[in-house]
Amino acid sequence: MFQPHGAETAAHGGEHAAEAAHEGFNAGETIIEHVSNSPIDHPLIHLPTLVGIDFSVTKHVLMLWLVAAFVFATVTWIVRRHLAAGRPVPSGAMNGLEFVVEFVRDSIVLPNVGKKWVHAWTPLMLTFFVFILCANAIGLIPVFDVLGLLNHWVIHPDHESFLGSVTHGGTTATANFNVTAALATITFGSIIVAGTRAHGFIQHWKNLVPHGLAWPIYILLIPIEIMGLFVKPFALTMRLAANMTGGHIAILAILSFVFLFTEMFGQAAAGIGVGLAVSVPLAVGISALEIIVVLVQAYVFTLLTAVFIGMAIHVHH
Amino acid sequence: MENLHFFGAALGLGMIVIGAALGIGRFASAAAEGIARQPSAAAQITAAVNLPLFLLEGVAILAEVFVLLIVLLK
Repeated sequence: MFQPHGAETAAHGGEHAAEAAHEGFNAGETIIEHVSNSPIDHPLIHLPTLVGIDFSVTKHVLMLWLVAAFVFATVTWIVRRHLAAGRPVPSGAMNGLEFVVEFVRDSIVLPNVGKKWVHAWTPLMLTFFVFILCANAIGLIPVFDVLGLLNHWVIHPDHESFLGSVTHGGTTATANFNVTAALATITFGSIIVAGTRAHGFIQHWKNLVPHGLAWPIYILLIPIEIMGLFVKPFALTMRLAANMTGGHIAILAILSFVFLFTEMFGQAAAGIGVGLAVSVPLAVGISALEIIVVLVQAYVFTLLTAVFIGMAIHVHH
Repeated sequence: MENLHFFGAALGLGMIVIGAALGIGRFASAAAEGIARQPSAAAQITAAVNLPLFLLEGVAILAEVFVLLIVLLK
């Protein structure tokens, strides 16, 4: 009895959605399209499938490569220029770079990892910090959206071409769960490596649970500690990706009020009024908040990685 | 009755906000009290508050992701 009713509703719903997509502005779909990766059947660059893995380059992969290339080129250039100048006192951009390096070493790695291992783990932390910071910050700069405007008014390329898809809107690479999961996997591995280097392989796994307790407690404790082993990188993954996605969704949702109000009242003046009075000031405020979030999230990811590595090295039980 | 999951998601979101706000509020008040009593230890108190604050934020964010999954995946 229920099935025909459900089918009818589904058909009606589908019809309604199609109608809305053709005529009106769908805020949810537009926002999700802007923050999500490009679909796998429409990648930016088609690459062949190797060993069952599709290597095609999507929006987020392109952003990842751009960020990596940018960080590598900038840091190498600054350091080489400083070395070539041959002066003991740094100047210009090298000052900023040294500030970042000292900040990461002295206030993130040293208090958590300890004096003995600080030089072993600072390079990894620095890589995390600079890479995540640049990926977050470049996602905040609407460079691809400006290119998209140019695309719309000046160039008019084909929508299926590389330029047409690349100007479809930039995204934050770290807003993708897969990217942050890969970063957290590095953390997961480095926790094990740190414990192994400090205590030996067997002792590191023994250190997970405190020794000298009554045996019934171990039945409870060992599963909890094994779960905690996987919860740490999982929480890192979700925190970074959700924070980056959340801010962008908030900005886009507030900006979409302009179009929603235009549609509701049927005239552009209503939308422009709401935009000037509410949307743009709020969006500016949230963008300012996002700049802080970008810095804090890079700091938090690095700090928590340092804390976890420190926990593997200095066992407190 | 079909859209009941929206109800649950909205309720869950509100409860997450209540919990996270209570937690962060307690952190802030304790840190402010500590700094007022011992202004010279401000840097240490801030450093000690930072880590649990981020862990708390992580839990709230995780819950929000699951709420989003309820809405998107039904």
